[in-house]
Amino acid sequence: MADALLETRALTAGYGEMQVLRDISLAVQPAEIVAIVGSNGAGKTTLLRAISRLIPCGGEVTFDGKSVSHATADEVFGSGLVQVPEGRQLFDRMSVEENLRMGAYRRGDRRAIDDDLDRMYTLFPRLSDRRRQLAGSMSGGEQQMCAMARALMARPRLMMVDEMSLGLAPVIVDQLLETMTAIRKEGVTVLLVEQDVHAALSVADRGYVMETGEIVREGSARELESDPEVQRAYLGEV
Amino acid sequence: MPGKEGLTLFFPEKMAERVLTPVETRAGSAKRTIVFVIVLIVVAALAALPWYGNSVLVQFGISVLLLATLAQGWNIIGGYTGYASFGNSVFYGLGAYGVAIAMVQFKLPFWIGMIAGLVLAVVFAAALGAAVLRLRGHYFAIATLALAFIMTAIVSNVEIAGSNIGLVLPLLKSDVLFYELALGLLVLATMTVWWLANSRFGLGLISIRENEEGAAVMGVNTTLYKTLAFMLSAAFTGLAGGIYAYYITFIDPVGVFDVGLNVKMIIMAVFGGPGTVLGPVVGALILSTISEVLATKVTSIASMFFGIVIVIAVVFMPRGIADVLRRAGRSPLRYFVDNVRTHRL
Repeated sequence: MADALLETRALTAGYGEMQVLRDISLAVQPAEIVAIVGSNGAGKTTLLRAISRLIPCGGEVTFDGKSVSHATADEVFGSGLVQVPEGRQLFDRMSVEENLRMGAYRRGDRRAIDDDLDRMYTLFPRLSDRRRQLAGSMSGGEQQMCAMARALMARPRLMMVDEMSLGLAPVIVDQLLETMTAIRKEGVTVLLVEQDVHAALSVADRGYVMETGEIVREGSARELESDPEVQRAYLGEV
Repeated sequence: MPGKEGLTLFFPEKMAERVLTPVETRAGSAKRTIVFVIVLIVVAALAALPWYGNSVLVQFGISVLLLATLAQGWNIIGGYTGYASFGNSVFYGLGAYGVAIAMVQFKLPFWIGMIAGLVLAVVFAAALGAAVLRLRGHYFAIATLALAFIMTAIVSNVEIAGSNIGLVLPLLKSDVLFYELALGLLVLATMTVWWLANSRFGLGLISIRENEEGAAVMGVNTTLYKTLAFMLSAAFTGLAGGIYAYYITFIDPVGVFDVGLNVKMIIMAVFGGPGTVLGPVVGALILSTISEVLATKVTSIASMFFGIVIVIAVVFMPRGIADVLRRAGRSPLRYFVDNVRTHRL
């Protein structure tokens, strides 16, 4: 476990006086899919925002062997740690293609960007039909695809996806989860944050369970799925 | 694709795509060449105006060119970045005082005063930006609005700035010089905005306007970009204030830190088309002309007519002239009716 892609040690974060995260230590290995699950308000989104440096945090964050504890959000992004934020945060009045190109905002290699666009349209055929459509006028599932494709356009080493399943039909969630597996095959490590514990653990290799700002359990996806505590609390089984 | 266009609001036609698409595949480059040639001819005609126009026209020209520069300056922070600044009149005042203090108190030449005013405005924008660019929407507007009043109060008590009496600058009777200076500044401001519209930096600003959280997530250094946009906006506004001070030869705090002037910049930029390269310039020209004609023809109730013009413009073409030119072509009636429907309260 020496060469984790992402590692946090004793990470703390919060908003103003209110501390949300306490002592979070986790590790993500290269080419893994790791899920962070837990109920509403457990601090999952705060954790992603802290790792992305969108909010200040304490403790240590290491990415690809380098400390990013004091980096700015755009530096973290530049090092290959890209977030698909909760609520997608698309540029609603830009077309799908413009959104995707915004993902490659910091890249200068026009040829490779064009190739990557084609790859995205292969990965998400639905987007291919909607290149010229304004992102804000699409369905929730299509918007989520657009957000994921936009993040991938940045050529991330690690993609962190926040509440991907929120408000989407189960059939769309299944499709997106399949895409996760395809993305991993291309060498992108994925960190999933989900309320839908069952969906998340179905594609993840490992998982962490968060409760009120702390990690209360960790293990392989299979272990967690069969853990009686997890089943009782999140999977609705008695 | 009907329905699609109705949503584009302030987003200038395919701007992001223009920035992001490789040059060789860009469509409409012929159209752009034509626009460029027309602009070049107009600028040449304007530059020669003092030699064929009378002195009234030249004086009117100075006023329009300075207002257009202010509208263009506001366009950078308000139109492209999406931050409705009411603090731009402060940059204007600082530019004016930079020139006035340098020339009156230190007997320095005009151009050194311009540099002083520029530095004052830009440094102030950087310091101010760090504090108020964290605020969004109405809060940003209110914070910057309060600033104009604070500056009036502060400068009124600064002895070197002539306190509340103001400063009288040396008289230079050369309207042609002021006219050409104002024209040069407007051309520089417009070229800068044109560069913005076609640059990566400008695209970063647009992304902030469209979704600031999204921009931050996509690796745009939003704090830095917003501050730079504010400073750029302040630079042109301050320089315009400097030219104004020497031209008008007398400035006082209430006159140059005037919020009314800030409102004018916004109206002109929005009337023409915020977030477009030429919109604010065209808006300034048209509104100034209407205002001038009304003032000479109907005198006493001119401002009422001017108000009516603004109201009609906002109701029928809320996205500015640039948008009318772009989209009303096929069926003008439907375009205006649609605007009324879409944006009614």
